[in-house]
Amino acid sequence: MAADPNKLAIFVTSPQNMRHVMGIANAAKKAGKTPMIFFTFKSIHLTKDARFADLAEQCGEENLAICADSYTCEGYDSAADIPAGLTANQMRTQAFHGALLDECGKYIVL
Amino acid sequence: MESLKVYILVANRMYCDGVRSGLGLAVENHYAYPVIMNGEFPNFSTYMTENIAWVMDMEGQVYSCGAAAPDNCVDEEGDKLIAEIALNELGEAMRDADFIIPYGLPKQTNEPPPACAE
Amino acid sequence: MKILQVYRSEPSDDVKTLVGILNRDRDADEFSLNVENPDYDQLVEKVFAADKTVCWW
Repeated sequence: MAADPNKLAIFVTSPQNMRHVMGIANAAKKAGKTPMIFFTFKSIHLTKDARFADLAEQCGEENLAICADSYTCEGYDSAADIPAGLTANQMRTQAFHGALLDECGKYIVL
Repeated sequence: MESLKVYILVANRMYCDGVRSGLGLAVENHYAYPVIMNGEFPNFSTYMTENIAWVMDMEGQVYSCGAAAPDNCVDEEGDKLIAEIALNELGEAMRDADFIIPYGLPKQTNEPPPACAE
Repeated sequence: MKILQVYRSEPSDDVKTLVGILNRDRDADEFSLNVENPDYDQLVEKVFAADKTVCWW
């Protein structure tokens, strides 16, 4: 499958860039693009940010996921405490990052 | 699916998870090159050492840039698993990269206190 | 090739060296996120105009 030129990958690795994640995702949607976002390692703490559920709703189940192992490593319960706005299907592995690289025409790290 | 060349740059000692992230791409048939900058090495647990060896097995490489490769991260023959790369060499190598991922946070100003140094 | 360098904080000397090498003989652009109110619309426009984006720490 060729990368979609209108899809923007946002790979989130830092726990301090929520305003940029929101700003870029919103700007992408406004420009008619589709953001696809993966949160990994310590950035999964951003799932506890009050804005996260709204971001998840805007992106949809197929286009936003978090690393379930990172979530567990950081002390959260990946079975009993799935972040607000997510389903169990969005508790993923690093393979989701591979999907970002394959599916998205553009890519940014935050 | 095309195999991509991905460099993952780790500048902060707390973000050596970038090695695991690289391994995740390696098992997806991409070429992963995690680079630990300026000696910000993790503790080389069995898990971390195995991950570094596995990246090599998958035709990637973990590099140290700006510091000597550590001699406590070795294979069964005692050979160092982490290769050294100079900053200029890294820049030239990354010109061919499909993706460059500065991972996590930048280098800290202060040395870690005893509470989290190990 | 069009390359976009994005900075989340003030770039270190190492970052400046790497950017210099990556930008050599290329059509290079940059954007700083390290400001109070980044223009995200402009950033998205630049990302989609570039062949490659590097977003530094």
